[in-house]
Amino acid sequence: MALPTDFISALIGLLLTLLVFSYLLGDSPLFKIAVYIFVGVSAGYIAAVAWHQALMPSLFVPLFSATDPQRFLLLIPLVLGVLLLMKISPLLSRLGSVPMGFLVGVGAGVAIGGAVLGTLFPQIGAAIAPFDLAAGIQAGYNPFERLATGAIALAGTIGTLVYFHFGARAGADGKVRRGWLAEVLAWVGRIFIAVTLGVLFAGVYVAALTALIERLDFILSFFR
Amino acid sequence: MKRPLATAFAIAFGLIVLLGYFIPLPFFAYLRQELILWAIILAAFGVLVGVANLLAVHLEKIRRRQPGYIYSLLLVLSLVITAAFGFLLGPQNPGLRQAVETIIVPVEASLMAILTVTLVYACIRLFRRRLDMMTIVFLATAWLVLLGTTPLPFAEVSVLNYLLRPWLIHVPAVAGARGLLIGIALGTLLTGLRVLLGADRPYGGK
Repeated sequence: MALPTDFISALIGLLLTLLVFSYLLGDSPLFKIAVYIFVGVSAGYIAAVAWHQALMPSLFVPLFSATDPQRFLLLIPLVLGVLLLMKISPLLSRLGSVPMGFLVGVGAGVAIGGAVLGTLFPQIGAAIAPFDLAAGIQAGYNPFERLATGAIALAGTIGTLVYFHFGARAGADGKVRRGWLAEVLAWVGRIFIAVTLGVLFAGVYVAALTALIERLDFILSFFR
Repeated sequence: MKRPLATAFAIAFGLIVLLGYFIPLPFFAYLRQELILWAIILAAFGVLVGVANLLAVHLEKIRRRQPGYIYSLLLVLSLVITAAFGFLLGPQNPGLRQAVETIIVPVEASLMAILTVTLVYACIRLFRRRLDMMTIVFLATAWLVLLGTTPLPFAEVSVLNYLLRPWLIHVPAVAGARGLLIGIALGTLLTGLRVLLGADRPYGGK
């Protein structure tokens, strides 16, 4: 009698769950078996995804079907890609530095654009927004409450930034230390960082707890 | 200067991409999109290089019968089988997807689940080894937010659920996170500029 596919999937899932849970007793060979299989399957699947969902539709299919100018343009990433593959061989790996230069350069450009337009401008705008009282009143907020929370948040943001600023000067006694204002702001920043990390920790813990409940439910429902 | 071509590529293409962000001309926007598409293609080649390198490292371990080579054998087998079926059938094939999810989902969920124990253990260690103000504020915040998130069996603490927890999340935590995000963005900006000016060459130039 053939076993149903769902049962086999559930059995493998149960086995892998128990193998991973064996980590709670220490870094055991059972845990390593699960992790090595996981890494192997993930790497194989990612390679297939890279081939079928990036290289085929963006490079190889257009190379055979697009117009001549587009084909000519696609020859550049093809040549760079082949050079990048040379990284596999220790003898030819030097050739891979040109495509790496391209990747790093484009990555740096994207990172700068993302940092300025995606983080700096929106975050600075959000820090300033509570001080626009007219807009706050128009949106139906209590102006004093909004101003107070905005001031606390701004103090926390500045404090956090100052905490990570390590510029210091030597004093009259020769000791290197930050100015008193920087010290006070950094102390305030530490409190805010601790609260932020505490909230993030709680979020991660709730997610982990949810995963634990799901896995325990899976184990119990398998034996029911 | 070592590897001048790689440096020239990094600076020239990085600047073109950057211009595409800040100069509102269709030509620059088109160039930026085209270069990002090329970078995606190269990143896919990079994935293949990474997987080939992983395979080579573990095949070498198996060949030399190094300690733990049995695990490497498992990794190589699972990688080769998944990649072979993946290349032949495509990653969207329902059978392959079910087979892959049968392995990936339970392992990921279980790794996440054992975090419940390892995080508590880490907290206890932190409390015992570094009992200062930052530790106390960190653990107290985590405890209060958890207490306000989970349904309690005996009673509901309204002040905690509807006042303190939302305030902690929306005011001081947001302020701290904003400071961290701005700091990270400034760091990214500086690192990116160093690459574009040729001061840092992480592609092997210096």
